[in-house]
Amino acid sequence: MHAFLKDIVPAAQNNINTRFIILDKVRSPPATTTSGKSCIALAADETASVHIQLWGDECDAFEAGDIVKLTNGIFSYVRNSGLLLRAGKRGKMEKVGEFTVAFVETPNVCEIQWNPDPENPKRYIQNGVVSAYSRIFPPLP
Amino acid sequence: MEKEKPFVASLHEVENQLELSLRQAFASLEPKLQPPFSLDIPDPQEFLELNRAILYAVLCNYGYSTTHIKHLHALVTDGYAFFTSLLVGVVVELYGKLVDSAKVQLLWLTKEMIDVSSVGLEDLLVSLLRRIGCGDYGEQNVWLCYELVSLFLDKWGCLLEDAPLVLTSALYSFLRLLADHCRVSGVPKLENVKRLEIKFCVKMFREQMHLSLKIGRDLVRLLQDLVHISEFKDIWNDLVCSEVSQIYQLKTSGRYFLLRIAPEMETQLRFLLGNVKLGSQKRHQIWFLKKFLLGPEKETLLIDIVRFICCAVHPTNEIIRSEIMPRWAVIGWFLELCKQNHHVEGRVKLALFYDWLFFDERVDSIMNVEPAALLMLWSIPQYPHITHFLLEFLLHLADTYDIARRDMMMRGVASAFREIERKGVVQSLDMFLSNPEIATDLKKKLANLLSCHQDIN
Repeated sequence: MHAFLKDIVPAAQNNINTRFIILDKVRSPPATTTSGKSCIALAADETASVHIQLWGDECDAFEAGDIVKLTNGIFSYVRNSGLLLRAGKRGKMEKVGEFTVAFVETPNVCEIQWNPDPENPKRYIQNGVVSAYSRIFPPLP
Repeated sequence: MEKEKPFVASLHEVENQLELSLRQAFASLEPKLQPPFSLDIPDPQEFLELNRAILYAVLCNYGYSTTHIKHLHALVTDGYAFFTSLLVGVVVELYGKLVDSAKVQLLWLTKEMIDVSSVGLEDLLVSLLRRIGCGDYGEQNVWLCYELVSLFLDKWGCLLEDAPLVLTSALYSFLRLLADHCRVSGVPKLENVKRLEIKFCVKMFREQMHLSLKIGRDLVRLLQDLVHISEFKDIWNDLVCSEVSQIYQLKTSGRYFLLRIAPEMETQLRFLLGNVKLGSQKRHQIWFLKKFLLGPEKETLLIDIVRFICCAVHPTNEIIRSEIMPRWAVIGWFLELCKQNHHVEGRVKLALFYDWLFFDERVDSIMNVEPAALLMLWSIPQYPHITHFLLEFLLHLADTYDIARRDMMMRGVASAFREIERKGVVQSLDMFLSNPEIATDLKKKLANLLSCHQDIN
């Protein structure tokens, strides 16, 4: 059974198993780093939206409208890019369908103010909303 | 011959369950697929596995197809029902992933199933007909169209005897496709296809008129687009002289409207109209557009989509009362998409209003006329020009579609209006009759129509 996007919490662990639909991919050419190309996309499920990072051939393999299953993914801060959900080295993204998810674009779990839990610094808790919607992919007019 | 994998591999996609089951069955039973075959009757589980393995082996096309089919003939005990259901599954779920040689094999197997009058044959042939894309003049699609129309001609005798209704499905499909094909030039292989489509359709009308007429009133709508072809002009004249009143009486079954809608398109339309809230539909609309309607030749598909939505997608009361995207809004969007293309736009409006012309409240469903009624109603506040041009089209249509039967059609439209008021689809027809946004002469025409054509009862 997979987690809903509204319930995922940042952590330095490959512990995210979830399913979402890709809403939009960034249009500019993907960034190329020493480890290969990557790009950002907006994804969502019935409960929330999130920014995902696609790596290497994932960038071309997935399109807006694709329903993706993520196994052992990681949801954490990426240098210069903010909070991102991705497969990471130990995770896997696979297309399982198209179109048939009735999603919401708010809240966006990357546009939440997450603070370390004072009682356990490795855990994060929500502490307010930075933006109701993605600031990278605003909702369509 | 080397074994060729029948399905295109996709790296980042979960393997389809059916594909997996076929591949695994082949992997485990491959040695048993060569003679000498075991004389033991397989147990039920092995029977299913052997069917799967044989299908996969034939799709692989490595030279033993006739052996495999003989093996199937020897072990079948269910009238080929399971094997045919697997073929249907491949066509519905996996057709796009088949490599070209596997598609050839698939059609060969279909002919084998026709020869043995397999159980479920109609489903298989209808699924294949649905795979012929609209407005797609690429090699693969033209090839499929050619293969299927040839198949229906070659296997005419068998099909007439064992599955005559499927010939009517083929007739509906090819009449519709021909209307598009006649408007395209510069695709050499299409000329052959058109020739065969005309041959098949004419054969149906000339030799099996009674069977052809089972399609019902939409047959007239389809034939109208073909009267410029001399063979059809004669058929049209014959029909008009003798049969058309009876044809109008017979409502076309919803299963015909499904013929021009691919399975993925049906899934997406039903999802849009059953699950997506009005106001949240923009992204789904973009994806639908990109997948099915990219390119001016594809606009013709809107005719079939609108007909399908009116007649074959009837949301429950629960959905109607909810915030889910209503049919009238989706149709409004489709009308907007084709407004630059007068040929398509006219036919889309005809598809939208066709059932109004023949409406009889004793037998017809309000659900077929509700989308047009609500589109006209809800356009009034912000887009009164849409209400105007739809109402104008409808009244003009009733007046001119079939001049000899003008009275009948005026009565049909009047009945439809009265029924939408009676059933509460529209609170009162005054919303049209007294609305200041609608032109006076149009309101007069509508009032006149309603008063001249009273209830039958």
